[in-house]
Amino acid sequence: MSEEFDVIVIGGGVVGCALSWYLAHFDLRVLLLEKELDVCSGVSKANTGIIHSRSYWTPHTLKGEVHLRSLPWIKRAEKELDIEFLKTGALTVAFSQDELEFLYTLKERGKIEGAEILTPQEAHTLEPMMSDKMFAAYYDPETRVASPFKLNIALAEGAFLNGVRFIFGQEVVGFEEGKNNIKVITKEGEYLSRFALNCAGLSSSYLAQRTGENIPSLQPLRGEYLVLDKECKSLVHHVLYPVPVGETKGILVSPTTDGNILVGPNLEPAEDEDTSTTKEGLKEVEEGGKKLIPSLPLSQVIATFSGLRPTLPARDFQIFFSSRFPSLLHLVGIESPGLTASFGIAEYAGDLLQKKGLKLREKRSFLFRSSFPVFRELSWEERERLIQEDADWGKIICRCEEVTVREVKHALLSSPGASTLDGLKRRVRVMMGRCQGSFCGMHLPFLMAETLGLEERKIVKSGRNSFYLGGETKEVTSDASFY
Amino acid sequence: MPHSIKGDVVVIGGGPAGMAAALSSWEAGAKSVFLLERNEYLGGILPQCIHPGFGLQIWGEELTGPEYAEMFIEKLNRTGVEVMTDTTALELSPERIVKAVSPQGVWEIKANSIILSMGCRERTRGMLRIPGARPAGIFTAGLAQYLVNIAGYLPGREIVILGSGDVGLIMARRLTLEGARVKMVVEIKNSLSGLVRNYVQCIKDFHIPLLFSHTVTEIKGKERVESVIISEVDEEGQPLPGREKEVSCDTLLLSVGLIPENELSRQAKIPLSPLTGGPWVDEDFSTDVEGFFACGNVASVFDLVDYVTLVAERAGRAAVLPSPSQEKYVLQAGKGVHTVIPQRIREGRNGFLFIRSQKSMRKVTVSLRGKDKIFYEKRISICRPSEMVKLDLSEIPWPQEKGEIKVEIRGTEIWGIS
Repeated sequence: MSEEFDVIVIGGGVVGCALSWYLAHFDLRVLLLEKELDVCSGVSKANTGIIHSRSYWTPHTLKGEVHLRSLPWIKRAEKELDIEFLKTGALTVAFSQDELEFLYTLKERGKIEGAEILTPQEAHTLEPMMSDKMFAAYYDPETRVASPFKLNIALAEGAFLNGVRFIFGQEVVGFEEGKNNIKVITKEGEYLSRFALNCAGLSSSYLAQRTGENIPSLQPLRGEYLVLDKECKSLVHHVLYPVPVGETKGILVSPTTDGNILVGPNLEPAEDEDTSTTKEGLKEVEEGGKKLIPSLPLSQVIATFSGLRPTLPARDFQIFFSSRFPSLLHLVGIESPGLTASFGIAEYAGDLLQKKGLKLREKRSFLFRSSFPVFRELSWEERERLIQEDADWGKIICRCEEVTVREVKHALLSSPGASTLDGLKRRVRVMMGRCQGSFCGMHLPFLMAETLGLEERKIVKSGRNSFYLGGETKEVTSDASFY
Repeated sequence: MPHSIKGDVVVIGGGPAGMAAALSSWEAGAKSVFLLERNEYLGGILPQCIHPGFGLQIWGEELTGPEYAEMFIEKLNRTGVEVMTDTTALELSPERIVKAVSPQGVWEIKANSIILSMGCRERTRGMLRIPGARPAGIFTAGLAQYLVNIAGYLPGREIVILGSGDVGLIMARRLTLEGARVKMVVEIKNSLSGLVRNYVQCIKDFHIPLLFSHTVTEIKGKERVESVIISEVDEEGQPLPGREKEVSCDTLLLSVGLIPENELSRQAKIPLSPLTGGPWVDEDFSTDVEGFFACGNVASVFDLVDYVTLVAERAGRAAVLPSPSQEKYVLQAGKGVHTVIPQRIREGRNGFLFIRSQKSMRKVTVSLRGKDKIFYEKRISICRPSEMVKLDLSEIPWPQEKGEIKVEIRGTEIWGIS
């Protein structure tokens, strides 16, 4: 434990990784500790991926402030992280005269050039499949869509590239205040740093309470989603929002960066951070989707999932220094629009650290991340060139998403690389297509074991004990109840 | 395009359909035949089907899957058919140009005829929208079959199987023999989805409980599957409240149906039947787009590999012959019928008609109805959705008049296995 860091970031979700990447711009020694085996393993793995425009910010709140601060970063992130923010634009749909007022609020709030209130006829020319029952729609050209995984992972890779260290499987259990530093204690070890940032997502409030903060517990609010096959790609082109009821944006229908259509989320309290979907919840999402797109092709659903919003009762973010540990900054209740706001949160937190004496001196050479080629997006000429360089580019392991062995190996060997099947899925989209891994699931665990030099039966889906295989055939079982 | 080649016939997919089609194209005189297979070896799903039961219909001999495949592989080796393994077709145009990749590079193959034999994929948990958690331990039956029979691994140790399709039934036996405990097979319908012989040999003989009118309504477990909730369902397949039961297990296997893989067919703008999920075909398995043929499970999911071989041989031959006459009759699934294949008849002189019934019935009459008049009837003792009724086209006295024909099945409905 001789090494001392300037900042330790606790949590490898989109907030923790955005902070690490932001801090990596400066001459700082940064360490990221993650409880799970990979980044993007909690709240950040399951959300819409929408970059909400100015029209959708919440005035007089911290989440609104960091939302607005985040938006100018999008262009910069595209360049520095080599990642796509698909500028789809959005339509917020009113179904009655009463809801019309909200559309004007959005227009007024955003003051976006090119934004306008559309008649149903005008909206139908943009989205022909949209419900005939609509009364009016607010068109906003600035809404974008990102892949939540790709963004989170790109931030992690960009941070790593610029010297941030990552250690996985580190659950933080306590802190100790030193003279000029703080000791972060995990189940596995201890780490010294000038500052520590609690970006622990669903555990952030608990961690803050453990350090003596008087902060309410988080209420995880579950949102369920349906994913439609890429064959439905032309169903909608813009993000379609209903007029919200209450504190959420409602069940929306949205294109994704990968050509699928996403429907959801609903909103319901989740016990024990349980991300199970429910029959009723999926039905609600189905109906919410049908309200916007009556012909929603449910036969094309390829997957369902749910994510959690770590919400505080006041439904705002709370970013504050610990009263007991002056160099520990808590970031609690980062729910929607956390992904959109992640850059703004990083900058905001950076300012707070600076005020406490952390020197933010820009690095002389900050490295831009470049993304690895994606086979399915390449031209035939590029494909040929790559295959001649390395025959693994010519071996398609996932037929649905056309992923090659070369891409899988890269995802395994990059840094921070995939160490679980879900990690592979989020990096290169294997097992994410219409067959949901029925075909590539035959080969991936074995390719993974071989590439990483692991035992085949030790391959896990996501958690430490989520073993993919159940043992070898013809193994004698010691289970006496069997006989 | 780096590797540009031309061929008489290109066959996409080297499973049982593709192998038989390529072989018969060659035997019918094609000068160049390319057989594209994405796996490292030919045979499709056959190599992992190590149980016997293949070949009874056409050779009167019981072979295992690998043996059945090997017969074709050996025959292909004695022909000039160009077998391209490790080659994945990614694009298909209506102008009959296939673009594919292999470790050697990118291929563009222009063909006079293209035979589609891409087979099918398994229905998944996502498609069924089974609620619950998403832990490790949920497999489709075919994937589990690969893991056990080829890779040498068990998918888990305590297993519940949803669906009484053939792969699920076969896997119940395999997993039991390999040391896993199959706790039960649950089937949402009130009758078997797979073949009766598979029920008898794989379920009954191993004393594995089979529950009809039951389904899985929730999956539980944090890291691995820990249990599933099974529930009794009504006639519409809707769970009955208060009829749930939790069954502990570490694995859920799904054997809930197969879907023809027609993403390439759609690219080539080949019209597909909503009933079969595959292209509309005639008795030579020619599709509605000239020069394209579709045989085997890509056209319609077949019950027996023997039938796949029979239809693929017809497609392979037809692919080298000049385009035949216009279709005379269009067959439609009428009362009691789930699917018919082929759906188009040109001559009706030779070939087969495969009919899948909607329900299990006994004292069955299969009839073909032209304009308000039944012109053909055949009586059979029993029929089931899982076992196709095969008719010889030559037996049927086709009417003079062209047009629509309804295929109907009548009989007394039966439940369960009986």
